[in-house]
Amino acid sequence: MHRVVVTGLGPVSGIGIGVNEFTDGLRSGRSAAAPITSFDASGFPHHFAGEVPAFRPEALLRRLRVDEWGRSALFAAAAARLAAMDAGLSLPATDPARVGAVVGTTSGESTVVEQLTAELVAGGYPAMSAEALRQAPAERLSYAVSAELGLAGESVTLTTACSASNYAIGYAYDLLCWGEADVMLAGGADSVCRWAHAGFYRLGALTERACRPFDRDRSGILTGEGGAALVLETLEHAQDRGARIYAEVLGYGVNCDAHHMVAPNEESVAACMRLAQANAGVKPEDIDYISTHGTGTPANDLCEARAIRAVFGDRVPPVSSIKSMLGHTMGAASGFGAIATTLGIRHGFLPPTINWANPDPELSWIDPVPNTARPATVRVAQNNGFAFGGNNAITIFGAIR
Amino acid sequence: MTALVSGWGVLSAAGESVTELLAAVRAGTVVGVDVGDRFDEPLPTAQAPAIADFDVRRLLGRKGTSFLDRATALAMVACGRALADGGLTPDDDNRHRVGVVLGTTTGSLKSTMDFSRETLVQDKPYLVNPVLFPNTVMNCASGQAAIRYGLRGVNATVAGGPLAFLYALRYALNALRRGYVDALLVGGVEEYTPNTAWAAELTGAGPAGEAAAVYLLRRPTPGLTGAPRAQVLAVATGFQPEQGVDGLTGCVRRALATAKVRPPDVWAVASGDLDADSLSEVLPAAAQRLSVRPALGDCQSATGALALGVLLGRYAEDPAARGRPALIVGRSRDGAVAAAVVRG
Repeated sequence: MHRVVVTGLGPVSGIGIGVNEFTDGLRSGRSAAAPITSFDASGFPHHFAGEVPAFRPEALLRRLRVDEWGRSALFAAAAARLAAMDAGLSLPATDPARVGAVVGTTSGESTVVEQLTAELVAGGYPAMSAEALRQAPAERLSYAVSAELGLAGESVTLTTACSASNYAIGYAYDLLCWGEADVMLAGGADSVCRWAHAGFYRLGALTERACRPFDRDRSGILTGEGGAALVLETLEHAQDRGARIYAEVLGYGVNCDAHHMVAPNEESVAACMRLAQANAGVKPEDIDYISTHGTGTPANDLCEARAIRAVFGDRVPPVSSIKSMLGHTMGAASGFGAIATTLGIRHGFLPPTINWANPDPELSWIDPVPNTARPATVRVAQNNGFAFGGNNAITIFGAIR
Repeated sequence: MTALVSGWGVLSAAGESVTELLAAVRAGTVVGVDVGDRFDEPLPTAQAPAIADFDVRRLLGRKGTSFLDRATALAMVACGRALADGGLTPDDDNRHRVGVVLGTTTGSLKSTMDFSRETLVQDKPYLVNPVLFPNTVMNCASGQAAIRYGLRGVNATVAGGPLAFLYALRYALNALRRGYVDALLVGGVEEYTPNTAWAAELTGAGPAGEAAAVYLLRRPTPGLTGAPRAQVLAVATGFQPEQGVDGLTGCVRRALATAKVRPPDVWAVASGDLDADSLSEVLPAAAQRLSVRPALGDCQSATGALALGVLLGRYAEDPAARGRPALIVGRSRDGAVAAAVVRG
């Protein structure tokens, strides 16, 4: 069994592109929330989202032809390129077959599918463009990463919705532990799209302008987008090449509610925390910080807080939700959570929950690190991800010892 | 480590058994089912290799089934049959140790595009039906199957189009090897809809097919009763867009080496499309080539799962084949490759 470490980070987000901007965004509590520009949102009562208007794929990518890939694939590949540069990986690798990619997503190439829908509405099925049809399959997200970086190892896209990045990190961790790869790019990507905006609105889960997790008056999510990538490698491989090590991946857990497609399940979420902690070989009292799923809906935050209480008892560590800053970036969300967690461990701070104004008396045990980042020693941290379909996935990171 | 294939649930245009599936693949001509009156929308052809007479209410009951899309319903039925065939009854003692891993391409393209279309054609763009929103996420089928059968273990959806089943198989082997679960339903599902029919037609991949094939995989543990139908010995994958068919040859060599199988011992190879020369550099000329696509059309993420069904059909009918290793292989147009080694 190999130990697995994080050596590179690649955030492409609404609060910063690249690790320096993103770290600065977390520390200063920046918000990505802004009026939607990627589609005409004028007919929607709520028209804010956490987009990445500064994303210029052609400025970040070296090998991919931008017009051959959908927006989510470009997010994934750009994030991976940034992570590889941050890690100082020399590419192509000496043995490209020992380097792979795992990418998580909720809606895959949603904007490509929306283009197909528009073509269908305008001219019927035969009007759908063959090029868009070729770009639509979700596996193209990990293939974009592999093609951009010249990786010949396993390349797989996990479509387990909003916890998919944690699935990806967990699977990559296993492959590295087991010696099946030396380096893995792991993370997630999704794009803001009209149908998800409509769906969340009609579920009553969409807030108007500001996402305020764990606040008494929280009223829902903001849809968001972006790409999150981490370079994971075996400790020996990192040491042999003299890499800077941010943190260690200690383990992860996944389980399924088997209860309801949309509503979270407290008992199952708590069980997933216990699975992840057991897999990582840590106890609740070892954990200094939780990066929560923290969507900002009344139901999620209550369920998550109760599950935390059930697992941590009277010793609940500080928690925060970076969705307050980024919006809900769907399949990328727990990837951004992993990056934020890793940065907190490396630099000694807790990212804040912004837009927080009033404590919720029903969540009295929750310290959401309100509004301002906080200096702290973080030895072990837990990164929560939950999803439609009851797909829970939690990763655990620790300071390198 | 290996996994035991201890049950199957297979639905295709050829029928609801691996025997019928094998017969159709042997015949090698497309199975035509009348689809002309199935949808209001026009279709590229009046016949297609789609599943005939699938009645979700008859198979799953009325409760909770009225909003299911076809892909999800097919997956749920196939999962139930694989559990029953493998003799596994989920209960409170085992349900957290049993899970689901399904391959996909884009989830249900019809569900997503229908939902998306409402945002364009309704008076207000938000006048979508929220009950249908979960159908737009690609893990809908695995989530619904988990709910139906009460399976709380590892639950994942793996995208890979023609390679999705092989990726799912590899993901499942990892979860079993790591001891996260004791049993997994592993499969691939694709529905036939105007969306997939036209997509296949317009991209030259047609005709679109339809299938759901799910297998119950178990950890080989002492005390398991009943003979398994086959073993999965190894799965290898890679991404080699520049290597053409050589990429797949290398992948097959790696899978065989991991499985400790000598290439000359391979008795059969099944895939979407193969000809007599396929993989001739590494495999004996005498190894049977079994191609799914000529009979069943483009079944995307179900292709590899049907290929396993074809091999199970061969093992079942031919006692002389028992114990001999076979391969399932695939290559995507983007240059990804995968190979699985099984033994009946």
